[in-house]
Amino acid sequence: MSWFYLAFKNLVRRPTRTILTVMGVGIAIAVLYSLFEFQRGYQERLKGELGALGAHVMVVPKGCPYEAATIALHGGKWPRYMDEGLLDKVKADPGVAEAAGLIMDAVFAEGGRNIILLGTDEDYMKLRPAWRISGSWFNSDSSVILGATFAQEMGLKPGDEWTLPDKNVRLVVSGVVSRTNTQDDGFVFLPRKTLQRISGLEGKLVVILVKAKHVDKTAELVASLRSSEVDMNVFPLSELLGTIGQLMASTKIFVSAVILIAVVLGGVGVLNTVLMAVFERTREIGMMKAMGGSRSDVFKLVWAETILATVAGGVTGVVVAVGSSRLVEALIRGMIPYAPKGSLIGLSPATVALCIGLSILLGLAAGFYPAFRAASIRPVEAIKTE
Amino acid sequence: MVKWPSGQVKEAEGSVGPRWDAGPPDRSTTSAVFARGLTREYRRGAETIRALKGIDLEVKQGEFVGVLGHSGAGKTTLLNLAGLMDRPTSGTLEVLGNDLSRRRGLDALRRGNVGFVFQEFYLMPQLTALENVLMPKMWGRARKGSGDWVLGTGQEPQKPGTVRAKELLKLVGLEKRMNHRPTELSGGEMQRVAIARSLVNDPRLLLADEPTGNLDTKTRDTVLSLLLELNQDSGLTVLVATHDLSLESWFSRVVKLEDGVVQ
Repeated sequence: MSWFYLAFKNLVRRPTRTILTVMGVGIAIAVLYSLFEFQRGYQERLKGELGALGAHVMVVPKGCPYEAATIALHGGKWPRYMDEGLLDKVKADPGVAEAAGLIMDAVFAEGGRNIILLGTDEDYMKLRPAWRISGSWFNSDSSVILGATFAQEMGLKPGDEWTLPDKNVRLVVSGVVSRTNTQDDGFVFLPRKTLQRISGLEGKLVVILVKAKHVDKTAELVASLRSSEVDMNVFPLSELLGTIGQLMASTKIFVSAVILIAVVLGGVGVLNTVLMAVFERTREIGMMKAMGGSRSDVFKLVWAETILATVAGGVTGVVVAVGSSRLVEALIRGMIPYAPKGSLIGLSPATVALCIGLSILLGLAAGFYPAFRAASIRPVEAIKTE
Repeated sequence: MVKWPSGQVKEAEGSVGPRWDAGPPDRSTTSAVFARGLTREYRRGAETIRALKGIDLEVKQGEFVGVLGHSGAGKTTLLNLAGLMDRPTSGTLEVLGNDLSRRRGLDALRRGNVGFVFQEFYLMPQLTALENVLMPKMWGRARKGSGDWVLGTGQEPQKPGTVRAKELLKLVGLEKRMNHRPTELSGGEMQRVAIARSLVNDPRLLLADEPTGNLDTKTRDTVLSLLLELNQDSGLTVLVATHDLSLESWFSRVVKLEDGVVQ
């Protein structure tokens, strides 16, 4: 008979109490796991999305650059525009390798579907070297290129005619971009002039994506662009990533502190439960000692019980967190202004190890005092019959 | 007649814990319990309670002794001292020839030399009869004869500890009940499991404190017969404390205690 077998048997002896204890730890660990995984997933996905832009620097109209970045990443309407003439000034900077000016709009199709329109020109292809187009690039003012997901959902292929909802403009599909697994898959690309005309935004741009000649000189390029024009915001994407990362990190510290308090409270609950069980089992522990059990034997047994309970809580918490990841993710997405696309909460061995390690630590800490009390029980007092 | 499965307890395989050191004067081969002026006092608030008042007592090895007395006479205190669960306030106490006043690590010594049976059986309800008997094998460091159990397999490894526990359950007539839990056993069966548990580490001294207190007359006789047979077949020294003065005839010798004094 092993220590853990006996500890396990002691736990299942009072199933309701054990389940409640495990649940207390499990909830705290589930929240902790979800938070850590969300942070990790958010950073990774955001990095992926910014990387998919194929640019090092973003030039947007004056206003909140992060809001502009969100529009650039996920598309949509934004009531701020730059003059198209700025694109030539940006391209003229010696540090710029490529620059593409974009205009964006969104229309609603039947059923409330939001169709993101992105107007650009051949320059955009230079930022998308991995694009594979079935069909051809824009071959007329009324041609349109579709992202893979959009084309699939709409059942469109090169050569098909398509009427742009809401605007009632007839377009011809000139090409479909092979799947890129980025936001591009859901976009509709039009010639920039065409979209400017359709949207009544002639001569306007929403964003200029800039690829630097030398990545290690991005800071100099940003400084140069900033000095040349006052009516635009210039920022490197690394800065955007860093700022969002810092925002997330500061949130993480706050939320982690709150969750750690929950974990500690869970630990106090475990301590209370185990201590109560020790008091209830005073005579039984006295018997163990009468049978030759030493202080360390009893200490180990009670400690093992506590650690088993908290580890069970940790495992339960991780399973619950992974199982409810979609629901939790949806809730968090609803509370924050911007979240990258794709799954943010997944199964990460490092986070699992962290949570299980924390539950072991919790068991070690919460079980110490009850184990000490149990070890201190004197058999002669515990088994009084006279 | 029940046959003792492993011969003399002293020589049994798989015995645990340190054996006694012999010290002058050497009573280790003849005396199981030797007390001179044995006193045990307790403090209860401002009051001092003298549970044992300087008693002299000697129990020879191989004896089957009854410690008789009314409630509060000091029987349990005497058994606790003899069973290494407590230390005397004053006086001399030697158990199996060892002076307890100078000994440390009584739990290890108790594990290897003393078995306990109580009025209340103290069986762990979540364990089977066999697991309850095996439990004392867990205590202390890993040792020869400890029976391990593989969680979830439902298989009992045929280690010496498990074999010994099964032998003992057979000895007490419970070979067909070894996989039952205490709640599925009668009072007499539970006490027999407790006796098997007290023997699993092959003790040289068995102390039974009111072992028949919770049993009906018929079951009481069964349990006492078992203890007597253990004594007669293996030479195990047995001390039985009871308030039931009618049991006097069961014992080879009787020590009567009254108000902490041997009568």
